[in-house]
Amino acid sequence: MEAIQSVLRHSWTVRACRVGIGVIFGYAGLAKIGDLAVFAMQIHNFRMVPVSTENVMAMTLPWIEIVAALALILHIRARPAALLSTALLVVFTIAVGVAYLRGLDIDCGCFGTADGAQVGLRKLLENAGMIAVGAIASLREAKGSG
Amino acid sequence: MGERKRGPAEGGTIGSIAVILAAGIVLGVAFNAIGLESRPGWGIPWIGKDRAEGLVSLDGAIEGLPEIPDLEEPMEADLARVRLFHEAGAALFVDAREVEEYSAGHIAGAISMPYDVAAGEPELMENLDPGGRPIVVYCGGGECELSISLAYEMIFAGHTKVLIYTGGYDEWAGAGQPIASGVAEGS
Repeated sequence: MEAIQSVLRHSWTVRACRVGIGVIFGYAGLAKIGDLAVFAMQIHNFRMVPVSTENVMAMTLPWIEIVAALALILHIRARPAALLSTALLVVFTIAVGVAYLRGLDIDCGCFGTADGAQVGLRKLLENAGMIAVGAIASLREAKGSG
Repeated sequence: MGERKRGPAEGGTIGSIAVILAAGIVLGVAFNAIGLESRPGWGIPWIGKDRAEGLVSLDGAIEGLPEIPDLEEPMEADLARVRLFHEAGAALFVDAREVEEYSAGHIAGAISMPYDVAAGEPELMENLDPGGRPIVVYCGGGECELSISLAYEMIFAGHTKVLIYTGGYDEWAGAGQPIASGVAEGS
């Protein structure tokens, strides 16, 4: 148990996970800012937030992802960025899960239109994997192991 | 690896998260503001609105084919007007529903372009050539919003004359208008 912990908390493991999440978030953010109108419509299709707030979400969410990505990759405020990214992943996953349970046949919009992924089990599994990586990225790096 | 500066103490974690969020929000708002000022504009309105409610209807007396101006948003059209376009072959009809629904029955001459597919492959819409005619997008009618979503994507893809037949296939078929079935794309 301790061995696993020490591997997970090893600064290389934690940093690799941070960079991994950072690359994914950076790509996701950049893919969305190219067509905000489409992303706004993808948010609309989830039918989870008031219509009036959809556009503000569409314009700010990609940039929050990009800033968090830069923090993770450049190792500046990386742990808070990892916590924030993981929290966002949890929220996104809940949104996908709820849409799936409601039988909505919609685009995920996770990467804008860069992937045509639909909400569904596959997406939920991908997200579960990313949350696991995000959780490791959120660990405090073990002292003296770097 | 050299010893790097340690991250902020626990008390600073919430503060750092707030900084990241604030930076993202400021950048997003600024980026959109630039987008709204640009020509052609790519920013989006600050307040979202329900597209189904905000649709402008094609109205005026029904005397011959209505002229469709270049639009920045799709317009809604009713059965009477859509019929005129259909009879004259003066519009390209596009079915936004799933292929299976299209095969089961569609407006005669309509092509199939499921919204789900088109949203992931914008080139499908960019390469669509309506031959100078307006595009009439429809789905099942009633609560169906696929036609609205696809119509907006058509506008984003560069088409300027896009109509939404909100009555949809159900109203069309119910009114005894020409229908067809099968997967072959009409012309």
